[in-house]
Amino acid sequence: MRQWLRTQGGWWLAWLLVSGAGAVWLARGELRQLREDFEVNGRIAHRLMSQQVVQYDAVLATLALLEPAPGAARSERRLPSVYPSILDVERREAGGSWPDPSLAPAEARSRQLQRPEFVADDFASGRYRLVIGALPISYALAIDLATAVPWRDWPMDPKTSPVRVTLEYAGQRFVVQPGAAAAEGGWHFDFRKVLASDSQAFELVAEQRVPWTGLPWTAMAAWSLAMAAALGGAYALRRQRIARRRAEELLRLGQVARLNALGELAAGMAHELNQPLTAVLANTQAAQRLLAEEPPELATARSAMKQAAEQARRAADVVGRLRRVIERPDRQAELRPVALQEVLRSALHLLAPEMARRTVTPSIDDATAAPVWVLAEPVALEQIVHNLLMNALQALEEVPAGERRLQLSIGMQAGRGLLAVSDNGAGLSPEALPRVFEPFFSTREGGLGLGLSLSETLASGMGGALEAAHAEPRGARFTLRLPLAGTSAQEMHR
Amino acid sequence: MSGPLSPLIHLIDDDLAVRESLALLIGTVGLRTQTWGDPQAFLDQFDRASIGAIVLDVRMPGIGGLALLDALVGQGVDQPVIMLTGHGTVEMCRRAFKAGAAEFLEKPVDDEQLLEALQQAVRRHVDSRERTQADQAARERYQQLSEREREVLGFIVAGLTNKEIARALALSPRTVETHRANLFAKLECDSLAQLIRRYAGLVEATG
Repeated sequence: MRQWLRTQGGWWLAWLLVSGAGAVWLARGELRQLREDFEVNGRIAHRLMSQQVVQYDAVLATLALLEPAPGAARSERRLPSVYPSILDVERREAGGSWPDPSLAPAEARSRQLQRPEFVADDFASGRYRLVIGALPISYALAIDLATAVPWRDWPMDPKTSPVRVTLEYAGQRFVVQPGAAAAEGGWHFDFRKVLASDSQAFELVAEQRVPWTGLPWTAMAAWSLAMAAALGGAYALRRQRIARRRAEELLRLGQVARLNALGELAAGMAHELNQPLTAVLANTQAAQRLLAEEPPELATARSAMKQAAEQARRAADVVGRLRRVIERPDRQAELRPVALQEVLRSALHLLAPEMARRTVTPSIDDATAAPVWVLAEPVALEQIVHNLLMNALQALEEVPAGERRLQLSIGMQAGRGLLAVSDNGAGLSPEALPRVFEPFFSTREGGLGLGLSLSETLASGMGGALEAAHAEPRGARFTLRLPLAGTSAQEMHR
Repeated sequence: MSGPLSPLIHLIDDDLAVRESLALLIGTVGLRTQTWGDPQAFLDQFDRASIGAIVLDVRMPGIGGLALLDALVGQGVDQPVIMLTGHGTVEMCRRAFKAGAAEFLEKPVDDEQLLEALQQAVRRHVDSRERTQADQAARERYQQLSEREREVLGFIVAGLTNKEIARALALSPRTVETHRANLFAKLECDSLAQLIRRYAGLVEATG
């Protein structure tokens, strides 16, 4: 658990933060959009309803000004057919009385206020009357709000819209549009404005509830998923890079360990050989001195020489033991077909950081398009190619960065696969050339002089050969030749 | 030539063949050798009073050569130590010299080199032993002087004449003359130069 927290906890936390912040941002944007829409719709509804009720004021005012001839046809009776929301028109001629006496006080107020006056009969179902007191005739309009709503211009769909729109007056409420059932929780939008008419000062109320489910969950989830994918990708990339660095480190450590082991071996060998050599030298020199005496001490000198011979044999035994430790007779059995191109590619891949550091770009000259299959022990072959490349890279260190050339070529010649590595470094002096494959011979400061020697031994162990030559115009060229897998298979058949 | 008083070389190496061959080689120039296979046995038993030198292999089981060298120096052993090693690093060489080795040689060692180093070491050891013995004798003679004679000796070393000494000590020049003759006899000196060379240091040391 603790391990998991350390390696992945930070990533999960980052994901939570990023997706949480993104979700909040998305939700806020959505809510802001919803509120804007709501308010725009509310204002439009208010304007439409205001226009509608103002119309009735205008109709009444017009009727009051008409002063029809007494007894003329009551043209106002035609109004309900023009305005569906006007259910009926009543009148009271001067001296007459209203069919409905409840209109009288309204008419009186109308005269006093010099504007139409409103009588709320049944406001909850949208019915009311509007009275104007005038001379000679006062009029009253019976209005049905339900048919007054201009649905054609209405900004919302009355059936599906979640917005509830009502008109309110003195505690009574007429529902214009029912909206969605108001659930608890979530967000609440609210819009209230009194209609722009003095006579019908109803308050238009719009309400909308946005429940939790109204948030943009899909977008939020998508964002969260996208973040998970992005962070997951970054995590994988990072893991990969760490793994690669670790592999490189291991490789380097392996090389160091090998060198240490080699140093230990050399130190042990030096001691094992130095003891008998010390005895040989001391005995022979003692014998020389004994023989030079007058008279010579023959017996002691003879015994010293016998001792020297024994110690020389002991030294030879040490060398023999060492060879038996190093040589592995079972190596021969592991030969199998290997493509030279494949080996070169993997060695170049391993050395890519070294090449980059030294700004060396190898140029590969592959004469045969098809893979060259040679018979080799893969690990040994890789070791040889690695050594040859390292050798070339080290030689190129003396060359200015821009002029470094590393030429690699693969081919076939006389039934053998051929891999050549050429550099344009300092090259080999005529004295050094015949000695390059000797153990402990190195032209490099601090070089062990074992790389090429080992490579040559490995190559000949696999029935191949490693040759060194001067490259043109300068530098060194190492050519590895190995039996082709095909020919050797045929030889085995014969 | 190799009598009991000739220098003795101690050879310490865990390898019998190396010990014997080196002993044989060293014997050809008339030096006596005593060989030791076990460093601890050597440390416990060897004759510290003998004149000579010690040849030590750096690489030995048990006590290593460098540790043995430290032990010898710590015990005040005055025989010069020559270190031998199969593969000497600069660091090892530096440590050996710092610890007080007289010489550091690589195996296999050439006879000229080893014998030259040994002879030089023995010479140095003999010189240092003689010097310590002379110092010891001088100190013993100095102890025989009376209080007054030591005072007179101090003034002589300081370069005062008899008359000046007499004045400083409130004695007659004749008495000073007697003390002077006595101390020359006791210190076995024939001349003023000899007296000053041998005893100036002692006088200054005892104040």
